[in-house]
Amino acid sequence: MIERKKRDLGGTVINIFALLLVLSYAVPYVYLLMTALKPAADVQQIPPSFFPNRITLENFRTVLATPSLPAAFANSLLVAVLTTVLSLVLAVPAAYVATQYRRSFTTFFLLFALVTRMVPAVSLGVPLFTLLKSIGLLDTTLGLVLAHTSTAVPLALLLMAAFFEGLPKELEEAARMDGCTRFQAFVKIILPVMRSGIAVTALFSFIASWNEFLYALLLTSEKGKTAPIVIAEYNSVYGLAWGPMTAAAVLYSLPVILITLLLQKQIIGGLTFGAVKG
Amino acid sequence: MTENRFVLYMLAPAAIFLALLVAYPVALLVYNSFFKVELIAPDVRAWVGLENYVEAVTSSRVRESALRTLQYTCFALLFELVFGFCAALLFNAIANTSRWHRTIFALPLMVPPIVAGLLWRFLLIGDIGILNYGLVSLGLIDSPDAIRWLSDEDIVIYAVSFADIWLTTSFVALVSYAGLTNIPRELLEAARIDGANALKRFWHVTLPMMRPVLAVVVIVRGVDAAKTFDLIWIQTQGGPRHQSEVFSMNIYQRMVRYGDLGEASASATLFLIVMILLAVVAYWKIWRPSND
Repeated sequence: MIERKKRDLGGTVINIFALLLVLSYAVPYVYLLMTALKPAADVQQIPPSFFPNRITLENFRTVLATPSLPAAFANSLLVAVLTTVLSLVLAVPAAYVATQYRRSFTTFFLLFALVTRMVPAVSLGVPLFTLLKSIGLLDTTLGLVLAHTSTAVPLALLLMAAFFEGLPKELEEAARMDGCTRFQAFVKIILPVMRSGIAVTALFSFIASWNEFLYALLLTSEKGKTAPIVIAEYNSVYGLAWGPMTAAAVLYSLPVILITLLLQKQIIGGLTFGAVKG
Repeated sequence: MTENRFVLYMLAPAAIFLALLVAYPVALLVYNSFFKVELIAPDVRAWVGLENYVEAVTSSRVRESALRTLQYTCFALLFELVFGFCAALLFNAIANTSRWHRTIFALPLMVPPIVAGLLWRFLLIGDIGILNYGLVSLGLIDSPDAIRWLSDEDIVIYAVSFADIWLTTSFVALVSYAGLTNIPRELLEAARIDGANALKRFWHVTLPMMRPVLAVVVIVRGVDAAKTFDLIWIQTQGGPRHQSEVFSMNIYQRMVRYGDLGEASASATLFLIVMILLAVVAYWKIWRPSND
């Protein structure tokens, strides 16, 4: 009886502890949200208050009225979508043959992808700058897509390779018996089976490109600017415009947070999977 | 179609792409590092051999930024590991009810780094940062400007890592949690029957079983932390007086601000070599046992 009570008490303490820990990690983001909802005049009041005295969408209106920001959001979206499509088209077939038809050069290829993941963005960014400049793709959407894809392909390759590893070889053999060519079997049988793995990989490519900062800073200046660059400029150009800046930050981070909450199981699965396998 | 040809066709697009946009740029990087060349006119170049490398290794600003990268990485990694692993243990202890805990805890992972940097700058900044007001109300410091997190040259490199720690502790926690759930229950049960207390079970069963998972986390997170640019850039742009300038930022500054492509390339090449060496050694150590 006493033993039981002691254990219940222990459980409650652990539960409260876990709750406190979790809440303390959520607090900073909630504060960002609260700040974005404050009237501009209250954002920098001293002493600061956590909750707004009055909730207003003023900061969001200011942000959306700044012409550079909606354009940058559109750019971010376009770049992220194109990067995702391009990296899937390149990585999925390659990861398939690299895991299902092992050769020494496919192993080498996967190792190369693995090493590429360790390449610091700035090291690749320096030559990409001169390269894109020489072919006239500096400050263009296409140029940034190519740069983002260069990091997205290795990531997608490793994730997809991990997914393909669990695929039974019999699936393709059965399709071949039914008269499919290897390529038909891949498109008609394998791809549909792998759709959840492909979806996770697509999501990761999208988020990585959507969040990317250094390449965008280095390779764009006017037309090709993406959302994080414009948000970062609030930091310097407009001095301390914390109100609009927090509103822009909320708008920029919300899509990814919403997608993740919707697909949390797949994403968290993919994240741990990718980390442990890749 | 023969099997070999099929493999080739499927692999070729990705291989060609990576050759053109990874291998070729890296070759270009190494090539550029041997020349004196300005960003504004990259065609005008003079061969200088290893001079750029000598310059990089002997420059105190480069050396300091490399050292700072190490400080930053170790500090961030230590706290992420401790916090993340403890969180995972906690979640594992309440396994049945921890689903929502884990979901909320994962929130920072979804926040773009640039937003996290901005947010932490706002939390830490001079007189309006709410963190110091919190510390005052807890009685830990006397006045809100007692600690100038982002403008004190001695602590800034640690202060900028708070954002990193906040952002990625949940990654460590999630991966560790997955590792913890994979430990066979019978093993812990057997240890309990043998009379091992909770602490002993942790030390002799849980920790050894978690070793490979933790090793992977250290490599993945360590490499990422050493590459950090955006988080620190948005908080301080490397200041005050370069005291939060890490290696990647130093390379960026030398290329964009000073337009010195040759020297930037030499540093970037050194950075690349160190990172790849570290990663290869680490992966080799970890991957080998499971592969054969």
